Amino acid sequence: MEVELHLPVVPNVELVAAKAVETLGAALGMDQTRVEAVSVAVVEACLNAIEHGGGSMVVRLAGHNDEARPRLIIEVEDHGAGFDPEDPPIDGSSRKFGCTPKRGWGLTLIRELMDEVQIRSGPGLTLVRMSKYVESAP
Amino acid sequence: MSNETIKLSADVLGDGVGVISAAGYINNEGGQAIADAAQGLLGRGVRTLLIDLDGTRIINSIGVSILLEIMEKLLEDNGRLAFCNLTPTIAKTFEIMGLVQYASIFPDRRTARSQLGVDVPS
Repeated sequence: MEVELHLPVVPNVELVAAKAVETLGAALGMDQTRVEAVSVAVVEACLNAIEHGGGSMVVRLAGHNDEARPRLIIEVEDHGAGFDPEDPPIDGSSRKFGCTPKRGWGLTLIRELMDEVQIRSGPGLTLVRMSKYVESAP
Repeated sequence: MSNETIKLSADVLGDGVGVISAAGYINNEGGQAIADAAQGLLGRGVRTLLIDLDGTRIINSIGVSILLEIMEKLLEDNGRLAFCNLTPTIAKTFEIMGLVQYASIFPDRRTARSQLGVDVPS
């Protein structure tokens, strides 16, 4: 099961990717809570691509149900200036109460909500690859 | 998936307690709509605000950041913010973003009303 979406930068386009997550997640037998976690992570990855990617993005979703632990793998690709994944420009997790900025939570949420996350980024290509197992670890 | 357009209702429950029901996608527009409704309730003397997210399944960090601003405004006015009917993912997102450190989380509207001191009809 594979889906590839070429998404333009239009309002709420991230929900198109979230809808695809919902459809493939359900087909894999993923429960609603895990589907919603993936949806929020994908929405954040798309918002980062919209904000920093400099144009349209590609979202690839692949359901792997032939493995010992079935999982949903998602890639979000943009073609912006790139960044250092170990030192993102804004890190929301360092935020203190009452202080700005309140932005910059995307990568933190993605890492917390997904089971595995890999980020490759350089000038002209940023690829966020993330996966969620259909069931939590035994 | 939640509708793109958020559906809101706002009421004063009495004794300085107000409730906003929000169903839909909490993004920048949804968050701002909640903030506007909250501002209206604060203008009516509300200092304890309950946000009921029954019907909200997906949020983003921009929308939650606006909820953080509502919370900061309430705390500056010695108020209190509470939420009920959160999905597990929304609850986890609030936890990651630090909202639960300063806001109360209740499983449902009835429990929230009881704990906030609003009479619950029998």
